[in-house]
Amino acid sequence: MTRVAELRWVRADLRARRGQAALTVLAVAGIVTALIVAATLLEDGTNPWRGLFARSNSAHIWIHSKDVPDVSALRGLNGVTDVAGPYRSAPATLVTRGRRVPITLQETPAALPAVARPLLREGRWLDVRTPNAVVLERSFARAFGLRPGSPFSVTGLNGATHELTVAGLAESGDQGFYPEWTPGLAWTLARTLDVVEPAQGRTETVTGLRLADAAATDLVVQRAVFTLRNQVQRVTTWREVRASMELDNRLLGLLLALFGGAGLVAAALALANAAGGRVLMQLRDIATLKSLGFTRGQVVRMLVVEHGTLGLLGIAAGAVAARLITAYAMGETVVVPLSAGPLTAIIAGTSLTVLAAVLIPAWRGGRTPPIPAAPAAPPRGHLSRLARVALLVRLPPALVLGARDAFTRRTPAALTVCGVAIPMMMITIGLGCWATLDDFVRHPERVGQAAALSLRPAELTAEEARQRAMADPDVVAAYPGAELDALVPWQTRTVRTRALGLSSDPYPFPVVEGRMFAERGEAVAGQGLLDLLGARIGDRVRVTIGGTPLIVRIVGRAIEPEQDGEVLSFGVDSLATKDALPPQFYALVLRPGADPGQVRARLQGQGLDVAQAVNPADRLAVIRVVIVALVAVLALIGLASLLTASALGLRDHVLDLAVLKAMGLTPRQVMATLVTATGLPAAVGVVLGAAAGASCSRWLIDLEGRGSGVGAGIGQAPTPGMLAATIVSAIGAALLVALIPARRAARARLPVTAR
Amino acid sequence: MTDTPVVRAVNLVKIYQTGALPVPAVRGADLTVDAGEFVAIMGPSGSGKSTLIHMLGGLDTRTSGEIWLDGRRADTLSESGWAVLRREKIGFVFQFFNLVASMTVADNVELPALLGGAPPRQARERREYLLGELGLADRADASPAQLSGGEQQRVALARALANQPRLLLADEPTGNLDSRNTRDVLRLLGKVHTQGQTIVLVTHDARVASMADRVVSLLDGQIVDDGAIPKSRRRPAGGVGDVVELRS
Amino acid sequence: MRQSLLALLAKEPAHGYELKQALETIFGSAYPSPNIGQIYVTLGRLEKDGFVRSVDVEQANRPNKKVYYITATGREALETWVEEPTEGPRVRDEFFMKLVLAPMTGLSDRMALMNRQRRHYLALMRDLRELADQTDPANRVALLLIEGAMLHLQADLDWLERCQEDLP
Repeated sequence: MTRVAELRWVRADLRARRGQAALTVLAVAGIVTALIVAATLLEDGTNPWRGLFARSNSAHIWIHSKDVPDVSALRGLNGVTDVAGPYRSAPATLVTRGRRVPITLQETPAALPAVARPLLREGRWLDVRTPNAVVLERSFARAFGLRPGSPFSVTGLNGATHELTVAGLAESGDQGFYPEWTPGLAWTLARTLDVVEPAQGRTETVTGLRLADAAATDLVVQRAVFTLRNQVQRVTTWREVRASMELDNRLLGLLLALFGGAGLVAAALALANAAGGRVLMQLRDIATLKSLGFTRGQVVRMLVVEHGTLGLLGIAAGAVAARLITAYAMGETVVVPLSAGPLTAIIAGTSLTVLAAVLIPAWRGGRTPPIPAAPAAPPRGHLSRLARVALLVRLPPALVLGARDAFTRRTPAALTVCGVAIPMMMITIGLGCWATLDDFVRHPERVGQAAALSLRPAELTAEEARQRAMADPDVVAAYPGAELDALVPWQTRTVRTRALGLSSDPYPFPVVEGRMFAERGEAVAGQGLLDLLGARIGDRVRVTIGGTPLIVRIVGRAIEPEQDGEVLSFGVDSLATKDALPPQFYALVLRPGADPGQVRARLQGQGLDVAQAVNPADRLAVIRVVIVALVAVLALIGLASLLTASALGLRDHVLDLAVLKAMGLTPRQVMATLVTATGLPAAVGVVLGAAAGASCSRWLIDLEGRGSGVGAGIGQAPTPGMLAATIVSAIGAALLVALIPARRAARARLPVTAR
Repeated sequence: MTDTPVVRAVNLVKIYQTGALPVPAVRGADLTVDAGEFVAIMGPSGSGKSTLIHMLGGLDTRTSGEIWLDGRRADTLSESGWAVLRREKIGFVFQFFNLVASMTVADNVELPALLGGAPPRQARERREYLLGELGLADRADASPAQLSGGEQQRVALARALANQPRLLLADEPTGNLDSRNTRDVLRLLGKVHTQGQTIVLVTHDARVASMADRVVSLLDGQIVDDGAIPKSRRRPAGGVGDVVELRS
Repeated sequence: MRQSLLALLAKEPAHGYELKQALETIFGSAYPSPNIGQIYVTLGRLEKDGFVRSVDVEQANRPNKKVYYITATGREALETWVEEPTEGPRVRDEFFMKLVLAPMTGLSDRMALMNRQRRHYLALMRDLRELADQTDPANRVALLLIEGAMLHLQADLDWLERCQEDLP
């Protein structure tokens, strides 16, 4: 029954401050929305499998069999909801620019099937009227520079070559990306397939099973194999496809975690500030409640319920908003909502944070002694040192008074400073990340991508290819290179070794520690490799490449965005001759300012096989969205803190105001006093936050870099211009926020007595 | 009336520790208040009156001594123990009214009853009765800020009486009121006293103190006087007063 | 009483009993009910000083009554009285004398004296309050008079408190 009394108070208090409550809900909702949307984008960006799988309504299991299986038996298996195919599939060889690439041709109906439906991205789908067309799996097409309309000459197993044309490019959730998943896939009509591979005996049949529950995959595979007896040649499942699509997303994940953490801290701060400010304003009421017989526990409970409800409401609203945004505003890019794991983590994490943030002010409220003091009068502080300085430099009196008021109450002043400083710090760190990404794009050589293009000799001799490339006016240098997997001692796994350039003429690896290798037997390594081997600069490591042992001394650490940094780089001459000659590829360094795309097109025109490097910043593009969203939310939080502060400040000044007016201050001066009183701590917060953010953003990003294996040395502080613009606009916004209530208060006629 | 006193304080001491210096506020007060009694506590400011009444209501902890309320030892109670005791047995009225600002008048008056575990309907009926008695029935939905000081204090009184407490404690209830509002509040106090309400109040105002059966004087934290206010030797007969002579 | 009667007569001529009634109505129970004999004595003195004159008015079945009216001299005296500022209360309190002197004689201790006095003041205050309660609320003059008395009493109590604090 006493709950009724508690609820009554909570209800009344919420009603008395609807606007503030709404702002709190909004701030929390904004953070949760940003977190969920960011996580969804991340999940989608780093593992496109979920989206593709859902959109193409893919099959969970693909059974490769010699003959056409008993489809009705498969369909009858427990857990199978639908069957794709059976389709014929034949191995063939693609001949393009003098290279022979194994591919798989797979039969597909002219009408897109319901299950395992390829997702057409470019060009047209197959049509019975153009039987010589194929649709290519997009990543495969990209790897060979094939576009709709490109010729596609295929050699069947019988040696006959058929000139086909690429009609379109499609994606699918049934096949991994090239080159992780080989051979490449081309969809054709049954007739075309018959032409290329007339022999039934050399084709196989693939049948896809779509399941009701992905977890039942193994069980269904067993049953299917049993049902089909000896017909089954091999089985692939969605797990393998997913694995092949996964990108190395450690850096991205870490950055997102950083922002997630920042968001949580900000949310906690917003709530703690709002709740703390409110509790501070209500100390008298709380004391009264206690004098009426509310226990400490009840007071704490009421405050937790009140402010916690706002927080949880915000979380719920944020979850709904995020769902709507990903469903409607981002329907194009995101198909599948965030999976349950991260969603639960975000919601549980924010809920816990919210409760923790609310608990502190609630506990503080609960400790209020039950004696309601006289109407709270602001402490009659002396002129603070700051105010005295202000007087000394002959500032206008309104500013001096404001400066005095700004720091008379220590706790609220500190709260305001922190409430502004922490979001500001996070914003600055966000800007630092932005600057780092910009730096990746602007100076790819700093992240190990001095060479924008890589050239594979293909059917030319290595020397020929090199000379042709060097003939291009935009190509400055061509470094011979080879990438090989190497076994490391005591590890069951391999690491990438990259031989590039000569020891005497090394490729410009971005060495940030130690020095560049200068002679045979020396190497530089990424942070990931050093961590993996527990090695330090100066250590000798022994790896085995293709059975040949190689001992190198690590003389430096390079920034290494690939393979989570688990890469060992050295000169080609350090390799055994059999591995080094001829070089697998040439890394082409272009003239500064040259457009890699154009150069690539030119070189391709000369029959060269040229690939363009993917800038790590492109893979991290999602981070930019997150940064923008986060900055917006953080700004909102800063504003919420400011509103709390100015409301608190105003309450303290109601009495003073009458006196100030009586003393002859004009409304404008009164306003200036109030704005200074709120604006000064805010400005201090902004500057402190920016300074802290600027000084630690580099360090933090480097920490991230180190953790992700890329290695420290990538971090950039935000540019001074950017930082200055942010500080100015933040202070401007703060003053504006302080101005509105100050204006109202300055105009209002105020009673001289309390209450 | 029962034999057990409503309040019994034995050698009550309160020492505030401000910095390194112990400041005694109440130094060994003994006080007994019987059921139905109206006791006024007087004394110069700083004599410990407020501290004494706060201790009697459990708003402040005692340094040593005993407090017995309604025959129960109360000074050993925990903070929440006191809170429960207050909601059942004690009504408190303050100088600055202390209505809960965010709640309406009606909610303010119903709050103690609800807190005491009364069903909402019963709480509402009691509130309607009390506000009616105090002539504030039409202000039930107003917020405290819309009321005058006198009205606020009457609402505070209604709130203090909501649970029909054994003991009504008041700390300078008229200290912030003008003389007309003071008269209204006094009339109410007189009324509940005649209905048998036990009252202990701290006041500076002789008019308030003269309502009491007994006056307790504090000086420097010690009780220097405790006794009934005598019947006037000069009873004004038949309403014909002689004020002017009183002053001559 | 002289000035009150003069003031009443300045309004209109009246006989003694009418004057007594007028005083009672105006000041109510707060004012000591004037004795009719005292009124006649005062009127006689005023007449002797030349401030009032009286004429006999015949009455049927009853003795003649004396109606008084104010003279020019009387009006002048009244004006002087109204215009000159009135003295404030003189603090030559009897209790204060006791308080200072009694302890010297060893007859009583100061604390007991003060406590007794306080209770007495409160008793007086209670009388005043009861008086105020019994007074017709419409009678502003009477109520104000009572309130004045209460405020004086409050001042006395405050003074007592000061004495208690400062006299050892």
